[in-house]
Amino acid sequence: MDATSAPHRIPPEMPQYGEANHVFELMQNMLEQLLIQQPKDPVPFMIEHLQRDNDYVPKIVILGPPSSGKTTIAMWLGKHLNSNLLSVESLIAKEYSSLAADARTHYQKFQTLPDMLLVRLVQERLREEDCVRRGWILDGIPETREQALMIQTLGVFPRHVIVLSAPDTVLIERNLGKRIDPQTGEIYHTTFDWPPESEIQNRLIVPAGISEGETARRLLEYHRNIVRILPSYPKIVKVITADQPCVDVFCQALTYVQTIHRSNAPFTPRVLLCGPVGSGKSLQAALLAQKYGLVNVCCGQLLKEAMADKSKYGEMIRPFFEKETAVPDYIIMKVLRQRLDQQDCLERGWVLHGFPRDRDQACLMDSMGYKPNRVFFLNVPFDSIIERLTLRRTDPVTGERSHLMYKPPPTMEIQARLLQSPKDSEEQIKLRMELFYRNSAELQEFYGQAITLNGDQDPYTVFEYIESGITNPLPKKVP
Amino acid sequence: MEANSSRELEARNYLEKHRIMELLTYLASALLFFRPEKPREYLISILERLRIAKVSGVAFPFFMDNSNIAAMFQMLDSSNKGSISFIQYKEALKTLGLCTADEVLKDDGLGITCEKFMREVNKRTQEIWSAF
Repeated sequence: MDATSAPHRIPPEMPQYGEANHVFELMQNMLEQLLIQQPKDPVPFMIEHLQRDNDYVPKIVILGPPSSGKTTIAMWLGKHLNSNLLSVESLIAKEYSSLAADARTHYQKFQTLPDMLLVRLVQERLREEDCVRRGWILDGIPETREQALMIQTLGVFPRHVIVLSAPDTVLIERNLGKRIDPQTGEIYHTTFDWPPESEIQNRLIVPAGISEGETARRLLEYHRNIVRILPSYPKIVKVITADQPCVDVFCQALTYVQTIHRSNAPFTPRVLLCGPVGSGKSLQAALLAQKYGLVNVCCGQLLKEAMADKSKYGEMIRPFFEKETAVPDYIIMKVLRQRLDQQDCLERGWVLHGFPRDRDQACLMDSMGYKPNRVFFLNVPFDSIIERLTLRRTDPVTGERSHLMYKPPPTMEIQARLLQSPKDSEEQIKLRMELFYRNSAELQEFYGQAITLNGDQDPYTVFEYIESGITNPLPKKVP
Repeated sequence: MEANSSRELEARNYLEKHRIMELLTYLASALLFFRPEKPREYLISILERLRIAKVSGVAFPFFMDNSNIAAMFQMLDSSNKGSISFIQYKEALKTLGLCTADEVLKDDGLGITCEKFMREVNKRTQEIWSAF
């Protein structure tokens, strides 16, 4: 047998380290910059790139029709993320730049800028130190498809593109109430956003070009252009409706900007499902195993299998099972280790449920090196659990399990002979639920990045939530 | 599309000329193997050493030194014949990232001995490093 063609056994620490430190994305970003800039001396360039550490600075483009609130949102995002705001006005007003001076003269004459000049202004500004270090937010640029393509050819590409949209009538009306504070440049509105201080109120001026005709003309221009700009940014666009209060728009924009897009990094899911009895953990685990090929590891099942196999762990467990007391943690851990170390778990990933149930067990598992990379807590209210569990019945003749509400037995005759398991009585369920909730707060604290889901929905909806939780990267919180 | 493909060609040539892919493979392997606490600082330290080595002409510590190569040869040569087959040799070079899948190597039909293997690995590694 050829040693080099046998399956390679990669120690599990390697993929865990790779995921935790985002090694793939690190390398990908470095390669991107190398290819765009193509420096003559790659090694010093790479050193500088690594030291700058600006892979995750904000790179945002905000587009939208006039008076949709672009500038307001852009300013708020800029303040919140501590980033730089670029708009046509700010670029033209720049000092110490010959390009900006040319732009000013052109703007005064024709009221617009030639595409090439604008794009070069953007490029110049983005090369400055503060944009490199803290990121940038482009407000209303690119205005046309040509500009978008030119910006791309220069190697500038945003990570998030937000498009504000609202019906034209709303926008025309809104524009009539626009007022600008000449000192700070902030935009206010007579109805929606009136400044509280009277001194600001007194110095507000009416900006030029807000008559209905003017706005309608600019809207027409916008609609003509936006349709052709959007295909340049296929996967990173999010459309937010601007026909709602400013704060809501800002909230949505901020959440979107903080999400990280999915990359091609290799990812073996190691999922942990937590929740009280009856929350649907086994069902979801089975669905996950079926769809994604993960190994379904149910702790209770594992222990029972060990006993049935009469393995040495099985013999250790048997007395506890017979006395109906909890099996000690270290024995469970040994059995679990044996299962999780097998090749199929390492290769395909696993979904674990039924363990750990409290903080000590979680610490033990963590110290043994089994760290899940997605943790889900399924929340189900008490009444739903009672409904789900107390109506479970088993047919003693065929062994089939049914549920009086969700999967009723086919005939009355069968229903007559159904039996209920003593485990499913209301007191037993209450006991087990309370046991869970006593420990759940600590568990949630331990698994800081856990995702909490509403388990009180139909199984396929819950499954979709779990799926999206696994496939999307965990959001990075801005401190 | 003309402009796109010529820039693409440019980019590919750039990668070839500076052996970027080999360097990145090496960096990623080092990261995953040594698993430092601070990956960025570790990468910076490797690159700094590389830069100094290039300037001062000092031999750069390779990822696999001679004892590793000998161990790898022994793993391949499980029956202790003293030589490995040509296919094994090609596979081993591919695993080490030292030759591409479609490179044609001459097969002299004699089997590859340990010294020949070591020489070839060292020669190729040297080639790659000298391009930085």
